[in-house]
Amino acid sequence: MKNINLTKWRYISSAISIFLMLASLTIIGVKGFNWGLDFTGGVVTEVQLDKRITTSELQPLLNAAYQQEVTVISASEPGRWVLRYADTAQSNVDIAQTLVPLGEVQVLNTSIVGPQVGKELAEQGGLALLVAMLAILGYLSYRFEWRLASGALFALVHDVIFVLAFFALTQMEFNLTVLAAVLAILGYSLNDSIIIADRIRELLIAKPKLAIQEINNQAIVATFSRTMVTSGTTLMTVGALWIMGGGPLEGFSIAMFIGILTGTFSSISVGTSLPEFLGLAPEHYQVKPISDTP
Amino acid sequence: MFEGVNTPLITIRAGKTMRVISMDKIQSKKLLNHYSAWKYVVLIVTIIVMLFSALPTWYGEDAAVQVGAKAGLNLTPIELRDKLKAQGVEVKRIEVKHAQHGNANSSEDGQTLIVLNDDSEQTLVKTLVSSMVSEPKELTLALVSAAPSWLQNMGFEPIKLGLDLRGGVQFLLDVDVQPVYQAQADALVESLRQFLREQQIRGASVRIDNTRDDAGLQIAIALTDASASDNNARAAIRQFIQQSYPTWQLTNGDNGLVVKLAQDEQIKLRNLTVQQNLQIMRSRIEELGITEALVQRQGEHRIRIELPGVQDPAAAKNVIGATASLAFFEVKESGSVNAQVLKDKSGNPVYVARTPVLGGDHIVDARANIGEMGMAEVNIHLDRIGGQKMSEFSRANIGKPMATSYSEYSRDEQGKAKQTQQIISVATIQSQLGDRFRITGAGTYQEAQQLALLLRAGSMTAPVTIVEERTIGPTLGAENIENGFAALGLGMGITLLFMALWYRRLGWVANVALISNMVILFGLLALIPGAVLTLPGIAGLVLTVGMAVDTNVLIFERIKDKLKEGRSFALAIDTGFDSAFSTIFDANFTTMITAVVLYSIGNGPIQGFALTLGLGLLTSMFTGIFASRALINLVYGRDARRHVRV
Repeated sequence: MKNINLTKWRYISSAISIFLMLASLTIIGVKGFNWGLDFTGGVVTEVQLDKRITTSELQPLLNAAYQQEVTVISASEPGRWVLRYADTAQSNVDIAQTLVPLGEVQVLNTSIVGPQVGKELAEQGGLALLVAMLAILGYLSYRFEWRLASGALFALVHDVIFVLAFFALTQMEFNLTVLAAVLAILGYSLNDSIIIADRIRELLIAKPKLAIQEINNQAIVATFSRTMVTSGTTLMTVGALWIMGGGPLEGFSIAMFIGILTGTFSSISVGTSLPEFLGLAPEHYQVKPISDTP
Repeated sequence: MFEGVNTPLITIRAGKTMRVISMDKIQSKKLLNHYSAWKYVVLIVTIIVMLFSALPTWYGEDAAVQVGAKAGLNLTPIELRDKLKAQGVEVKRIEVKHAQHGNANSSEDGQTLIVLNDDSEQTLVKTLVSSMVSEPKELTLALVSAAPSWLQNMGFEPIKLGLDLRGGVQFLLDVDVQPVYQAQADALVESLRQFLREQQIRGASVRIDNTRDDAGLQIAIALTDASASDNNARAAIRQFIQQSYPTWQLTNGDNGLVVKLAQDEQIKLRNLTVQQNLQIMRSRIEELGITEALVQRQGEHRIRIELPGVQDPAAAKNVIGATASLAFFEVKESGSVNAQVLKDKSGNPVYVARTPVLGGDHIVDARANIGEMGMAEVNIHLDRIGGQKMSEFSRANIGKPMATSYSEYSRDEQGKAKQTQQIISVATIQSQLGDRFRITGAGTYQEAQQLALLLRAGSMTAPVTIVEERTIGPTLGAENIENGFAALGLGMGITLLFMALWYRRLGWVANVALISNMVILFGLLALIPGAVLTLPGIAGLVLTVGMAVDTNVLIFERIKDKLKEGRSFALAIDTGFDSAFSTIFDANFTTMITAVVLYSIGNGPIQGFALTLGLGLLTSMFTGIFASRALINLVYGRDARRHVRV
């Protein structure tokens, strides 16, 4: 009885996954990404000012100096600002000089990225994503029967799209570190799928008479505690990174956190339901009798 | 046989429980859960060596100022300390290195190293000390390991920190190779025209075809005159190019011939140009006096420069960014057809020959001086070939003027390299010049000095422009380290606590494995040449902590399963490790794929992340499987109890 419920639950969660995936794709399509400096090129400067200074004092001063709309973002600490503007002929202005009317200025860091470099990095990033995906696809199809592999792969795509949609929705900056996180998710969120797929394979061999739904349910129940513990420990460390890592690692930790969460969810929902839907059966893991007559 | 399972298994139904015994165990291994002594030796030696390798990182690095032997420091270390103390600078220690007997290492002989208490005083001390020595150029900023000397003597060094952790300036330069091709083409066009004149081939025009950008440079020879000499002319031109310019490829064009630079020659030229610029950048950076500076090629035509500890990018930028070259031209009469027009400082046109007598790449040395008349001058020393060329030219042109042009490359708003060329002096050749001569009229002494510096650092035959610049303030770098390691500490603490509570009996094994994993990982990072720890790299370390225990979790859960099936603890351990291995391998392999892809495609900080992630996976396999098995074998290897709770 419990297992029948589990099957139903699995189907419902798969439907939710697919719905969320479609919603995610829509969000990405509509909102797009807030690309970071690494990809767009431009100038980003981080300054430390007196804590009482507000955006309304800062903005007009900067806009006048750089002759363009300077994006002013409040950083993690009070009095710390991130200024972002395009790299033009007018942008060669000393920031510390410009902000002198506001009192003591400390320039913490400056990054200038040329438009060509940004474009190349974006291309390389896309290439990295593609190559990693293909390599994983190759390995999966070598390691598992194609129906099982497609379940894991679909779960993987689901996770990546979900993380991307989060960044599109919140308009958090999508920079190189976040891309690294997405790639790390690509490798890591597969772990849960692999653990379950391994178990499904074992059960298919050991109990060929069982219905596929039953086998999937058993595999999930058997691996549930280890899936929770492995994801849990990684979530804890990523959480620590989120809390303590400071501003530069915030995007990275959030992306990893979401990726690991959805990775666990998708490996149970679509990861097992898709192979079932594609008609995975015990005979796919039985050794075919070699016929004596060629 | 059952395929698809790692070790061949025999399944025997015995009563209610199913026994799974590994076949090779029955045949080869009599003892269950036994590791031979040499495996323990390997394990212990590895951990001890890695511990020593990781230790210097714990102590960190101290900022120091290095005073070369030739700097002319005439103070004893005690006097130096007191002098600095008077300025309010606390010195940790001052070392004077002497050449050891039988091991005369001349570069270190007599070198003085001032190690500071406060890293932020490095630049201040350099300024202070430069007033005490005769040759301030011999002072360099350095970082020295703060580890005790016995550890340093063993050859272990701290992990190198990336710029995002240390603070400093980073530049990415783009070398524009196009002008180099252009120069090659110009030379060919010049000699082709001369050849046509000599051979009296009329009705042929030679020009550079720049219209087809993608195909690279090509030279079109239009043969409009359809006279009988056409075929002969073609053959003559063909022969001339094959003999004198074999790196150019000749094809038949629409109405004449087309000459193109061969593909492999283009690549060769590009490599040479980038190499030359790398060399030039290295020597320029040396002038800045930063020992830890990194200059390396990135991609096809980029150069990456990292200057740790530099707080003001402007000074570095002036030296790197200004890509100047000098050329000497024969001055033609004004209005002359066969000449190019360059402007001098006040904007007046000067007619000079199309090709220079000599390019700046023949300059060996250049120094600014105050001449006899109190005017600033630049003394130039040429190499042998340059000296010969200059000698030949000046002998034939005594009494005639020679112009010196100064070109600077910069990048305009569209990101295209543009050249500004200016005549900085027109001087009359007084006598036959050799390989040593001087230019006067370069402006003030400061300007002469700047020019000399640029010339000394070498000439730029290809324009180099800064396409990326990142500055990380030292306070931000320190903050990043603090945050990163705080996160590592917290993540590690939670994980250790969780494992100890969740798997009480086996939890401590996982914890010992995790700690030794970190020790080995830090040790490896310090040992591997070129490995750099960046902020994303620390994120990779934190992630590794979370992933490393996964290996143990997978094994422990399998052991739990086997215990539930009614096996003894010892047997459950054996089969648990075996059956978990393929899952562990699969899971780590896919993450490894992404780490490798990231490392090969990413750069800088991202490579740091890929490195710690990839290394962390390897070390976690080592400690999670091998080290924890070794521990478990020792403690629980003979445990024949059943129904043990783990």
